[in-house]
Amino acid sequence: MSSRSPAAAASVAPPYLRRRRPLGRRLRRAFAPYGLLLPASAVIAAVLAYPLYYLVRLSFQHYGLFQLVRHKGEAIGTANYTEIFHDSVFWHTLLRTVAVTAVCVVLTVVLATLIALLLAELSSWVRLLLTAGLIFVWATPVVVAISVWSWMIDFEFGVANWTLTKLGVGNFNHHDWLANPWSGWSVIISLIVWGAIPFVAITLYAGLTQVSRELVEAASIDGASRWRIFRDITLPLLKPIYVIVISLSIIWDFQVFNQVWLITNTTPSPDYYVMAVYSYVTSFKISEYGLGSAIAVVMVAIMALISVFYVRQMVKLGDVE
Amino acid sequence: MRTRIITAVALAVALAIPASTASGGTTRASASSITVWLMSDAQNGWPAAVANATSQFKSQHPGADVNIQYQSWDSVLQKFDASIAAGDTPDVIELGNSQTAKYMAAGAFQAIKAKNYPNSSTWLGGLKQSCTYAGKTYCVPYYAGARAVIYRKDLYRSVGARSAPKTYSKFLSINKKLMKKYGRNSNFSAFYEPGQNWYVAMSFVIDYGGKIAVQKGGKWKGTLNSPQAIAGLTAFKKMTLAFSRASKTNDEAHPYPSIPFAKGRAASFIGNGWEWPYVFNPKGGAAPASFAKKMGAYPMPGRRAGTFLPTFLGGSDVGIPSSSKNKSLAADWIKAFTGTASETMIAKAGNIANSTKLLGVNAKNPSLAPFARAATYSWFVPSAPNWVNVESSNLLKTMCTAILTNRKSVAQATATASASITKILNAKS
Repeated sequence: MSSRSPAAAASVAPPYLRRRRPLGRRLRRAFAPYGLLLPASAVIAAVLAYPLYYLVRLSFQHYGLFQLVRHKGEAIGTANYTEIFHDSVFWHTLLRTVAVTAVCVVLTVVLATLIALLLAELSSWVRLLLTAGLIFVWATPVVVAISVWSWMIDFEFGVANWTLTKLGVGNFNHHDWLANPWSGWSVIISLIVWGAIPFVAITLYAGLTQVSRELVEAASIDGASRWRIFRDITLPLLKPIYVIVISLSIIWDFQVFNQVWLITNTTPSPDYYVMAVYSYVTSFKISEYGLGSAIAVVMVAIMALISVFYVRQMVKLGDVE
Repeated sequence: MRTRIITAVALAVALAIPASTASGGTTRASASSITVWLMSDAQNGWPAAVANATSQFKSQHPGADVNIQYQSWDSVLQKFDASIAAGDTPDVIELGNSQTAKYMAAGAFQAIKAKNYPNSSTWLGGLKQSCTYAGKTYCVPYYAGARAVIYRKDLYRSVGARSAPKTYSKFLSINKKLMKKYGRNSNFSAFYEPGQNWYVAMSFVIDYGGKIAVQKGGKWKGTLNSPQAIAGLTAFKKMTLAFSRASKTNDEAHPYPSIPFAKGRAASFIGNGWEWPYVFNPKGGAAPASFAKKMGAYPMPGRRAGTFLPTFLGGSDVGIPSSSKNKSLAADWIKAFTGTASETMIAKAGNIANSTKLLGVNAKNPSLAPFARAATYSWFVPSAPNWVNVESSNLLKTMCTAILTNRKSVAQATATASASITKILNAKS
């Protein structure tokens, strides 16, 4: 990443050039890059900054249906925040969200690493087959994928129960996967991880192809075990990629909504609340838009912290290059 | 370039002027269209009534168009809220009679003059009440429904029950025999009761003398943790676990009970009148016409001899959102839809029409008469404006699931639910 600012570029221009240019033109040159940034900034401001500003403003208002009809909220200071911080459901939801994110990210990264290592070892046509499979999963629209999973675990007619029963695992006829939150969450987490693996696996595989063969060969000649090679050569070389995929996975999994919402038939019990679901239920199901916004703001703040870490890492990686 | 823009603007203004006068409210408006949101029940059960209303409306307003958009109960309120926020509401909307209070209180509906609407002097009392707020009328009764047991006469006969049970103990003994005879098939339910069908759970609460919530000194209090309510829910749990193999985490729309019933997996279920014909609908189970001979219906017997299990008197109203831009057209469509002709079709589809004048429509129909009889013992949700938030937050469904899956005792589950109900009903709006 270049550290030269446009202003610096202008100041190092040769003196004869500087003399010939009038001030207005110089200024124009200095500001041109900012001008070029304007359209993108305007778009970001319109689609992100304004809604965000509105969200924050809403979180300091009492905004129910009455206010919605009149398009005017009622300022109530920090009362919404006081309410959620004294709400045990909120804290349970926050903890659950963190736990689910952690489990999903660890499973995604570990399984994707194994698949990436496998890809590197396979003959080319098997690799092609596996890659195609991964791409299919990645290309399946998430709502379609959830519907397919819903049907598979369906209580009355699902193929999962049928197969498990036929395999003699036990009597799974009329087994309700969502009745117990632990089993329900296993299904949802599998669904999330299943959907997330392709991107991470293919990215890691792309990274693996850049690990120089000589290094690996040299190490194995020196008698290093495969685990040792992975730990001391592959892993350090892939570190930048790991930083990116782990950060992105955290960001994606922390805001998971569709998988939970759709697999519970849009009627999740509080056992299935994650932050996004809780905020949605509060806002749109019981028309407490101010309160729902406050929950969303807390979520945005946490995500912003994670993003700061991510951006810093990216900048650091850029500096090394 | 510039002249072209000016022309375009001038043209747009010219077009906008007649359009805005048209929406200003003359009934003779032309080239205007209204958007109508109805629940998908109308689409599945009585599309002819909708078509009839629209054609009557169109003959009155040649050139006006009606855009019917069918909604699902799960998401209609969210969509309605979003349309209010965007200032782009439908011109006519159907809401359930337990949903209207919140919207009337918030000013989301245009007040109407009841006497301008057909049969308004004979509107069903319960529905009329759900359209009244602070002395004004805000919507028009559309239809009501009572629930009764739809059952397989042939299966009942096979365990020696020649007629429908008149007492709850008889109901229990027949179902016990059915489970004994057919229960080895693990897909079979003598009485198919989806665990989150909270209307049935609450019917037991009412039958045992309990209430969902009571109002004291201006404050609401959830009372599902009262001894009566707990006794009712305990009976509900015992009955459901003994006779039903329906999912305990889904409601009566996932799947519709008519589907397992039509497929021979259930000897009975509790349903609305319109669910009888729905058994034959391709989406509702697609039973062959000959299946009708095996079917019967009866009001579910109550705990005390000679009574029925109180049924939820559900129903729907149609109203005009206050931000509709075509209020008078909307009113005319509603008049056509809730008039005698359309309402007769709605009643024949298995519902209770909006007017007492039309109560006789199904009196001679043996399959639908039991639903009307069931309505003699009925209950309705607490009259708090915030009530619908209790429904929307799913806490009653969650409670039913917790009870039926033994994740919580009846006492624990009802204590949690009652506390939430108290909080929601007293929240300031």
